[in-house]
Amino acid sequence: MKQTNSMTRQNRKLWIIVNYLSIILVLGFFYIGKYYDLPTLALIGGAVSLILLIFSFVKVFIKTQLWKLAHTSDKNLDERQLQVILSSLRYSYSAFTIITLAIIYGFAVAGQGPIDVVVAACLLYFAHTLPAAIVGWKEKII
Amino acid sequence: MKSRKLYNRIAVLRKERNVSRRDLAEIIGVNFQTVGYLEREEYNPSLDLAFKISEYFGLPIELIFSAEPLKPLIEEIIELKNKIGGQ
Repeated sequence: MKQTNSMTRQNRKLWIIVNYLSIILVLGFFYIGKYYDLPTLALIGGAVSLILLIFSFVKVFIKTQLWKLAHTSDKNLDERQLQVILSSLRYSYSAFTIITLAIIYGFAVAGQGPIDVVVAACLLYFAHTLPAAIVGWKEKII
Repeated sequence: MKSRKLYNRIAVLRKERNVSRRDLAEIIGVNFQTVGYLEREEYNPSLDLAFKISEYFGLPIELIFSAEPLKPLIEEIIELKNKIGGQ
């Protein structure tokens, strides 16, 4: 698979942090709206966080082709790229399992019942982007 | 399992033959970044890829790859010549 990437690893790490922080912000504003009766703040804050999430996603996953690398067919990858992807999938499987179980456990302990639809959506996004994020975090050159 | 570091002469051979990383990558069927990783000895190739590289350069695999730091190619050739001459 051919790639071109001009972003340094340092910048990639920074944008990955921004991306995942923006998910936390989206969740934070969702719960502000739900529990504190501040719909305007929740709406504006949520919209700004969502824009930041989309912007950082495009910058770090699409423009660097990390997304393509992590989601392309095995046939389009060479042996080194396959190794990199396999290792990132292994790490992301562990990380995702731990985080998801911790969230479900947290909801159960707090007596909140099943997780909210926004949390589920954030977890779906997290599951899909994590392998690419790990590649971007660990690899010197993509 | 952590594999040991392998040394190689890919960068020297490629420059000597005036081939770009992209061209070499296309010939041996890998991404051009992988050629960079190989040249910097940050990635050990599979046996199949090592054979493809040795076939392309027309040299025995042990002249391109080694588990020990490599001497200049000319020294290695002189040693080989002396070995053959001494037999």
